[in-house]
Amino acid sequence: MAFEDTQITINDLSFNIEGKTLLHNTNLSLNRDGITVLLGANGAGKTIFLKLLTGLLTPCSGSITFEGGNLSIKTRAFVSQEPVILRRTVLKNMLFVLEKITSEKSTLAKELLSLMGLDKKEHQNALTLSAGEKQRLCLARAIITDPEILLLDEPTANIEPNSTTLIEKYLIQKVRSSRKIFFVTHDINQARRLADEIVFIHTGRVIEHSSAENFFENPKTREAKKYISGKIN
Amino acid sequence: MNDISEAFVSSLGLILFLDAELLEIILLSFRITFYAVLISSILGIPLGAFLASTHFKFRNTVVSILFGMMGLPPVVVGLFVYLIFSRSGSLGWMGLLYSPTVMIIAQVILILPIVCCLTFQIIESLHTRYHEFFRSYRVAKLKSVIAYIVDSRFELTTVILAGIGRSISEVGAIIIVGGNIDHITRVMTTAIALETSKGNLDLALGLGIILLATAIVLNGFILFLRGKYLKTPGSSI
Repeated sequence: MAFEDTQITINDLSFNIEGKTLLHNTNLSLNRDGITVLLGANGAGKTIFLKLLTGLLTPCSGSITFEGGNLSIKTRAFVSQEPVILRRTVLKNMLFVLEKITSEKSTLAKELLSLMGLDKKEHQNALTLSAGEKQRLCLARAIITDPEILLLDEPTANIEPNSTTLIEKYLIQKVRSSRKIFFVTHDINQARRLADEIVFIHTGRVIEHSSAENFFENPKTREAKKYISGKIN
Repeated sequence: MNDISEAFVSSLGLILFLDAELLEIILLSFRITFYAVLISSILGIPLGAFLASTHFKFRNTVVSILFGMMGLPPVVVGLFVYLIFSRSGSLGWMGLLYSPTVMIIAQVILILPIVCCLTFQIIESLHTRYHEFFRSYRVAKLKSVIAYIVDSRFELTTVILAGIGRSISEVGAIIIVGGNIDHITRVMTTAIALETSKGNLDLALGLGIILLATAIVLNGFILFLRGKYLKTPGSSI
């Protein structure tokens, strides 16, 4: 994965709520493609950071630019830890997020469901799916909107191993080459498997940003070393 | 006691032999209830869904007023509508007083806040689950309101049934604005009040039995739907 083209720039991004700073002035330059894994202990500010990137939260200061311009909300898709499933069939859940349903999009929806192992369940009530199947549906639903940036907040937490494997395989083989992925996880092994680069957040501050290899081989900070060794979580 | 049992037997006779007067009163009651609940649902469900899913400056004030209106005294509503539609009232020129139309209007004023507030409560909990998803996918406001209504359809059916129950058993407002005129505005509840005062217990009891049966069937249907809903995945009550 090439890292020479920095195309996502975060300038002085901060977020406060009720006088408490949850994300301190953050400056980052990120590669346009590949998987950036956000690591950090519970309450470090990973989800806040992700929601700022998604546009679900408005920063108190700073900006995010994508390819030199303001980050358009249309370029992003977000998948949360708790899958949000509408009370309708699997296929209708897929099509709901589209502004206009065309025959091409319907075909694409079916293809994505097939890739996610849900092709035989497209007419089933989506609420009857297992936790892993629901999360796979959420990922397929995010992909059908054709986002340039995919933001995933612990998508494999609390789901069965085969779904985790399927999602990881899909992200690595089909998505990584064509879009930017931000992935929040607590699972160090998963971060090792997926990450091209790591952003390590500690008490609302980005204290490390490096390639995954560098981060795991030579962590610069004491907190990162502790986190990798499992002493903080 | 003898009079009561005789009246009861006589009332059953009226029901079984489909007494014309009894049928007329029942059909008018159902017609007024149908239109009142239909209008209240068409207005109240989208309004409740909109209020539950939208934040604006005076939202809490609007919601508080609507919740307060759930307990409107029917006779006060009746008096208010009467004053508006009486000959000297602002809408007196329409000539609607003592007509089924004005009875429907009074019923809508009573039922609309109930339908709206119950919808608000149901959709507010759904909104907590959906709103980030809708925001992240830039779902248009109208589309999201429709989705809230579609996804809470089982619960909203019970709201409509609650509206029917309230409407069909109402007497205070419609007796004032309808005037309980024979063959024109006489419905089950107003007829029961009149026939009881006249001592015509068989017709009053016959109507009472129908009204009671309607309430039991409606409540049974609500329980049935609730049971069915609780068995569906994703139910939250």
